[in-house]
Amino acid sequence: MRRHRTIIAVVGLCVLIGSLVVVAPAAVQAETPRRGGVLLAAIAADAPSLDPHQEQTFATIELVAPLYSTLIQIDPLSYPKIIGDAATEWKIAPDGLTYTFKLRQGIRFHDGSTLTSADVKATYDKIVFPPSGVRSIRKNAYSAIASIEAPDPTTVVFLLKFPSASLLGNLASPWNVIFPKKYLDRDPNYFKSNVVGSGPFKFKSYTRGSTFEGERNPDYFVKDRPYLDGYKFFISTETSVRAAALRSGRAWIEFRTMPLAEVEAIRKQLGDKVVVQDTAATGQFGIAMNQTTKPFADIRVRKALTLGLDRYTASRVLYPIASLKDVGGLMRPGTEFATPESELLKLPGFGRDSEKNRAEAKRLLAEAGYPNGFKVVLKNRNVRVPYIDFGVFVVQEWRKIGIEAEHRPLETAAWFADGRDTGSFEVIINGVFNYMDDPDLFLERYTTGDTNNWGRFSDPRIDDLFARQTRALDPAERKRLVNEMEKIVLENAYHIPGLWWARSVVHWAKVKNYVAPPNHYSNQKLQDVWLSED
Amino acid sequence: MATNIELAHASASATLAPRRSFAEVAARFVRTKPLGAAGAVIILGMLFLAVFAQILAPYDPYVGDYGLQFARPSAEHWFGTDEFGRDVLSRIMYGARIALFVGFFASFIGCTIGALLGVVSAYWGGRVDLLLERLMDILLAFPQLILALAIASILGPAVQNVVIAISIPVIPRVARVVRAAALSVKENVYVEAVQALGASRRRVILQHIIPNVTAPYIIMLTAQLGAAILAEAALSYLGLGAAEPTPSWGLMLSGSAPSYAEKAPWIALFPGIAISLGVFGFNLFGDSLRDALDPKLRKG
Repeated sequence: MRRHRTIIAVVGLCVLIGSLVVVAPAAVQAETPRRGGVLLAAIAADAPSLDPHQEQTFATIELVAPLYSTLIQIDPLSYPKIIGDAATEWKIAPDGLTYTFKLRQGIRFHDGSTLTSADVKATYDKIVFPPSGVRSIRKNAYSAIASIEAPDPTTVVFLLKFPSASLLGNLASPWNVIFPKKYLDRDPNYFKSNVVGSGPFKFKSYTRGSTFEGERNPDYFVKDRPYLDGYKFFISTETSVRAAALRSGRAWIEFRTMPLAEVEAIRKQLGDKVVVQDTAATGQFGIAMNQTTKPFADIRVRKALTLGLDRYTASRVLYPIASLKDVGGLMRPGTEFATPESELLKLPGFGRDSEKNRAEAKRLLAEAGYPNGFKVVLKNRNVRVPYIDFGVFVVQEWRKIGIEAEHRPLETAAWFADGRDTGSFEVIINGVFNYMDDPDLFLERYTTGDTNNWGRFSDPRIDDLFARQTRALDPAERKRLVNEMEKIVLENAYHIPGLWWARSVVHWAKVKNYVAPPNHYSNQKLQDVWLSED
Repeated sequence: MATNIELAHASASATLAPRRSFAEVAARFVRTKPLGAAGAVIILGMLFLAVFAQILAPYDPYVGDYGLQFARPSAEHWFGTDEFGRDVLSRIMYGARIALFVGFFASFIGCTIGALLGVVSAYWGGRVDLLLERLMDILLAFPQLILALAIASILGPAVQNVVIAISIPVIPRVARVVRAAALSVKENVYVEAVQALGASRRRVILQHIIPNVTAPYIIMLTAQLGAAILAEAALSYLGLGAAEPTPSWGLMLSGSAPSYAEKAPWIALFPGIAISLGVFGFNLFGDSLRDALDPKLRKG
């Protein structure tokens, strides 16, 4: 009996030691990146064009970001830390008026040519001083830049008109991808339908409305990257189709977000096979009113429309189905530059008593000559989450104050064309989404003539405050100016803010090393992402 | 001489034929075509819901009870509520309006234009017939729904555009059937007689040919109604029909319904049943009407 016990003890000990020997390397191995495989992803819209300088939608940046490099970037694994990309180091002069960047040597574009400072200068000249006929969406975020110089092939210098608190962050924009100068010289709009980058992946194929594919760039300047052989996006505006793709393994990730109901269902079916990364989001959905048309030139009508939207109920109703969560002003609630809640509650449409708000809205409409309300066409983007859901909620809410809105969803390109480019709308759902909580990025759209000023309004006070806040290096002073500007926009109901978004990024557990930032624009290069075996 | 005798005979039988009341015709239809009668009951039910939706619907189809998202079917909400807390039953009742509006107008426009083209084609013959028939061949080359999809995507999503998109593919189908009937009517002696009496082409077509091709026209109209309702649902399902929050059956089936199929199956189930029932009703009625009006299929 004792002999048996000894044998069992020895065997047990051997098994224990053996398993430790086997398991320990396996555990380490599990964290060792594996090479190969094509990342399959689902996306909710097709790109209006492929030029990120001219676009502002995830539909463009998610598809093409892996094909390009930027000067500097937000750390893929540690948002919002700024790290180098094409630039290895940079210096800011003590007076804050000169930014000098040193480029890596030996970076090659996918056509074989070398990336030099001339390409960076041509890229930023296009963004900051766009030639006529070329749109630059974020131009106003670079109003501090006086000129860009390329003294030698590996040095780029930005000379400023005034010190800017936001500039370094704005230079880390994922949208500012570096284009080869020779193509820009030929046609500044060349990259709307062509791709020549220096990123970790090379362009493989694109079928409009269906798929977009990239393949590994063997000459990528970061050693041993990327891990993946390629990536492939499946495009579908239907949430249920993308959810089905995730469930069936036809797609392994949806970078933007999935509504909670879908997340629950996917989790229930796939269990540990999937991972959900919940983050806040630096994006807000709202409504632009075309103030060049009647009746939206009338402040009473605009105020009535913002008062007619019960944001607190919207948050309760829309969070589970459309990920729209937080009530806030023009800067993300809880962040450095946001207006405090106590102040926000005093602004039109932010009071918690919805009945009182509606009564005031009806009074204003009657005073403006619309005692029975009026009919209006509410244009929208045909992307269900969260555009359509938010649009339906707005239509329902406005019925309560006598506004009969005809909801008209449009394809992404038509929505941008009508809303942003031509102003062919009365009211339109739009989103304000940026890769950082920066006032320059979030507030430029309220200035006169800005590309993103969909409402087409102009208020010199706003222009002045925007210009002053961008120069303010003292954070407290900047916050005061930002809040003052926000108050003018909201008190005059120049824009109707809706709700701030939240992200629930669902992906298969085998997709490794992707850390979801609070936006779906940065960390889309996929150079560090790898796929484990099932 | 023989012509005169035939005409006189036709006229005599017309005067001697016993005239039946609507009730008698309906009773005979129910007795001989019970399935068709069932179809008629479904159609009348839909019509009743559509006309009196405002009175019958227990809730506003556009305004949701935000505290009752995804409520199960209950005494308060017989068909449950959707993701915005809107009553599914009320939305189905209002949805009958859109289904019938689109179904009726699309079929009526498509069938009427088709019938007119068919008659003109048959009566004129020659180059006009050749040209119109080749045009119909081109339209017939596309499957009905695919053509409607193409037209709807060009026109953009709106109810009136759905009517146009659905009616155009109907035109060649009806034109073919009516042309065949008109060709046969055209050869009748009474047509020759009025032509000989110097009647204008317009008069011959309007007074002598069209009244005699109404049977195939009505049959096609009824048959296309069901197809049009289904096409409206399909176009709305594909995002080319009415836009949310319009209570359209097809739209209720698409939209967010597939996303909540597990959590709240009633959101998709009841509109699905409504579409099936509506199309089934029109098809049953259309088939029976064809049997009743087609002399070759009529018994006794």
